[in-house]
Amino acid sequence: MHTTVFIILQILIMIIISPLVNGIVNKIKALVQKRKGQSIFQMYYDLSKLFKKDTVISETSSWIFKATPYILFGSTLAASLFVPVTTLVEGVSFPADAVMFIYVLALGRFFLMLGGLDTASTFGGMGSSREGMISSLIEPAMLVAIFTVAFFSGTLSITGMMNFAAYESNTTVNPAYIMAFIAMLIVLIAETARIPIDDPETHLELTMVHEAMILEYSGRYLALMEYASVIKQLIIITFIVNIFIPHDMFLTMGGFLALVLSIAIYIFKVIVLSVVMALVEVNTVKFRLFSVPNMAVMAFIIALLGFANSFIFVNN
Amino acid sequence: MSNIDFNYVENLTRSIFFIVLVLFFAVSIVSLIWVRNGKEKAAKRNNILNGVCTLASALGIAGSINYLFGVNFSNAQLELLHIKTSLPLISIDLTIDSLSAFFILGLSILTFCVSIYSMGYMKHYNGKRNVALFNFFYSTFIISMYLVFTASSAITFFMTWEVMSVLSYFLVVFEHEKEEAGRAGTLYIIMTHIGAGFLMIAFIFIYIHTGCMDIFIKNGGAEIPSAIRNVIFGCLLIGFGTKAGIIPLNIWLPKAHPAAPSNVSALMSGIMIKTAIYGLVRFIFSFLGIEVIWWGMVIMILGIFSSVLGVTYALMENNVKKLLAYSSIENVGIIFLGMGVSAIAFAMGNVFVGSIAMLGFLLHSFNHVLFKGGLFMGAGAIQYATGTKNIEKLGGLIKTMPQTAICMLCFSMSICAIVPFNGFVGEWLTYQSMFLSLSQGIARINAISIIGVSALALSGALASVCFVKLFGIGFLGKPRTEEALKAVEVPMPMRFGMAILATLCLLVGVFPMIIIKPMASIIFDISGFNILSELKGGLFLAYCSMNLENSQISSMFVLVIIIIAIILTIGFAYLKNNKPVQVSYSTWDCGFGGLNERMQYSSTGFVNPLKIVFKALYRPKIVIKVEEGETQYFPVSTEYKVTTEAIIEKYLYSPLITKVHKLSMRARQSIQTGSTHLYMLYVLLALLALLFYNRLV
Repeated sequence: MHTTVFIILQILIMIIISPLVNGIVNKIKALVQKRKGQSIFQMYYDLSKLFKKDTVISETSSWIFKATPYILFGSTLAASLFVPVTTLVEGVSFPADAVMFIYVLALGRFFLMLGGLDTASTFGGMGSSREGMISSLIEPAMLVAIFTVAFFSGTLSITGMMNFAAYESNTTVNPAYIMAFIAMLIVLIAETARIPIDDPETHLELTMVHEAMILEYSGRYLALMEYASVIKQLIIITFIVNIFIPHDMFLTMGGFLALVLSIAIYIFKVIVLSVVMALVEVNTVKFRLFSVPNMAVMAFIIALLGFANSFIFVNN
Repeated sequence: MSNIDFNYVENLTRSIFFIVLVLFFAVSIVSLIWVRNGKEKAAKRNNILNGVCTLASALGIAGSINYLFGVNFSNAQLELLHIKTSLPLISIDLTIDSLSAFFILGLSILTFCVSIYSMGYMKHYNGKRNVALFNFFYSTFIISMYLVFTASSAITFFMTWEVMSVLSYFLVVFEHEKEEAGRAGTLYIIMTHIGAGFLMIAFIFIYIHTGCMDIFIKNGGAEIPSAIRNVIFGCLLIGFGTKAGIIPLNIWLPKAHPAAPSNVSALMSGIMIKTAIYGLVRFIFSFLGIEVIWWGMVIMILGIFSSVLGVTYALMENNVKKLLAYSSIENVGIIFLGMGVSAIAFAMGNVFVGSIAMLGFLLHSFNHVLFKGGLFMGAGAIQYATGTKNIEKLGGLIKTMPQTAICMLCFSMSICAIVPFNGFVGEWLTYQSMFLSLSQGIARINAISIIGVSALALSGALASVCFVKLFGIGFLGKPRTEEALKAVEVPMPMRFGMAILATLCLLVGVFPMIIIKPMASIIFDISGFNILSELKGGLFLAYCSMNLENSQISSMFVLVIIIIAIILTIGFAYLKNNKPVQVSYSTWDCGFGGLNERMQYSSTGFVNPLKIVFKALYRPKIVIKVEEGETQYFPVSTEYKVTTEAIIEKYLYSPLITKVHKLSMRARQSIQTGSTHLYMLYVLLALLALLFYNRLV
């Protein structure tokens, strides 16, 4: 029973909040650039409109092209279940851990890259090729950072890691966590296709990665692809805020009010992190594609150093 | 040797085993006599023989499953055959235990599917080649693998091992008029004999120090002095590593596996390299027993290098079968990673972690049988339909060969460890075991485990790029050549063979406990630890989820969630727009028009970013040849060629070969002069030396 409630709550929060995060990032960027900027709810309007529109499908494409948006969206939603927005819902046993989380996201990405290649468009191929490079280089950093956290928490389950962070927040302030945090921030930027790794707003063949893969999509398919990408962004943000910036105020309170307050604080943290992301995005320029490996290696080394710290601390 | 209580299991297993061997043997002989005349007749007879192979394999599957469930933690061994000869030591011993039965299960499943597949695949050899001879080698090769898995004395093992190597050599050079095949075969037979030489050394040491040839004895080599044990370990690792294709002993694998006909490639990459894994488990884990940590460290380091380098080389390959061969090296690397973790844990006395890791790598071996066998069959199907193995010449096959495409998609997803498929289950256990081995609290184990984790992550991610390339360039988009355009779906038996494996991939992925439950008794036999007490199935159905300490996963659950999400999404989209209009239009061409198939991303181009990132590894050489016309702006022809350097061959093998060559040239001048008198002197000296040695001992 608890699990069902949790699943519905989790999915609702993910679906409702994720476009807002994008809106906030865009708004902050606009404000910093002294523009008025679009409404923070713009993405809801866009998505709603895209769902109503007709679709244009390339003649060369196969069923892979049409299946991709659904599989991507479905797998992203499934992955979102592994990363609870609050650890307060008790009795939730969810059959997945961090490794599975990564490989469920990999399912979506696999189809995303295939979808790019399916239309025989050069843009799509280019996007898939670059996405393949970036994602495969960032993967080791992500896993090492996760393993560092898992090592402290004694479990690979993400819920377990979050519980550990929330209940024993005094032990999580140490160099290992901080380094894992930095590595995960870089992972966040790379995985969500943001500046300086990728530019979500450009349609210039020299720079685009994620946009290139979804170039041929239109109508509801495009809506699903865009939606999946913002949900994925929120998933990784959730992972970061609940593990590295845990809050434990309401753990002892219990009850419905605590749950609401806890979710409110979670949303607040998400907004703070998206402001940070926006500020990073306005203050940096996009890297050359071949500078991305440097960044990935940097993230990996930081994560590895963090891990090296971790067993010093645990042994003491 | 303890006998099994269940008489029934014993008799059944024994009789099934012999029926299987007899059937395969009959096929090999009958084929030589019967499949001769006429194209049509030969094809029909070939099909019948392959049908018999299929039947025999089905019996093998039934027998091994029956045995695995029958023994049930009894630590039993069942003697199948024992023939003594008048020569000392030389005897033929065949015994089966749970480990053997498990590998025989993999072998039987694969031969079952490959034999079905061959009914269609061999059609294009009919009339062109000696199919009878092929069938002879094919079925004797399968017999030899059955024998390798059951050989219980070192002598029998070595004999069957050699027979297997030689028969597979004949299959590699089956298309002998191709220079490539001949060269690959020669390299293969040389490498495999170097490996066999090391194995021989190991066996001799084992015999000297134990005086016994039975390799099924658990911890039979425990009393060997530790220095000798290390030597034996080294020899076994080199000997079996050569067969497994571990880097740097891999140079033959990417050449020999692609050279053979595809059904044989499937067997070689699918199960023959697993004989090496079997050998390592049998000799190192079971017979010798592990006492020092560095054994595991060495295995893990080899695994790290093989998994990452294997996949990086696979990425650059445009030849489908070579790509798959390199990917086999990667998967052997992953298996070695798990094996290393397991060996380290056993050396530390941590039976729990060791057992989980062992389950991980054995399961990955089994999964690799399924998906790599399938991938090679798919590569054969591509070649059958288009006549080419070059990815650059394919494209759009999903429309002309839809069913093959679905099978290939399943296999590709399995090998990338993507969630509902079986590859994930094995890799998850390997990740888990590396995580658990962190708790042992020794700095160097932690260091190597975390490097193992990153190697596994990197190779997994690169593998997904590699297989997106294979599937995306080969099957999607527009056909790049006439051949690809005109491809037709391959014959029914070929598709059927692949479909069975694809179904199994999904089945094992969604219900991992189906295979883990019978595997538990193998682990119990080796480590004495019942894995099922820690690794539980739970939730909904006992078979579809795995609970391990605090982690639990269920691919089934994820699959259900994804399906529900998709249904809801379709429903939602329908609510928003209940009369969706779909317009079919040409791909966006920037308004210029005339988008053609050559403007698509090519296979080389697709992986070019990674080539640039790893350029230290590939050392790519780019040669651009331009033939100028009247002005430099209108060249008559341009040629662009990128080649990558094979580092291992160039920096490890070439100097070695040059050294050996020089040495032998010098030896020829001083020792082998061509003078008969001198040779007679050598004979005399050798005789005297032997007599003298005999006197001393």
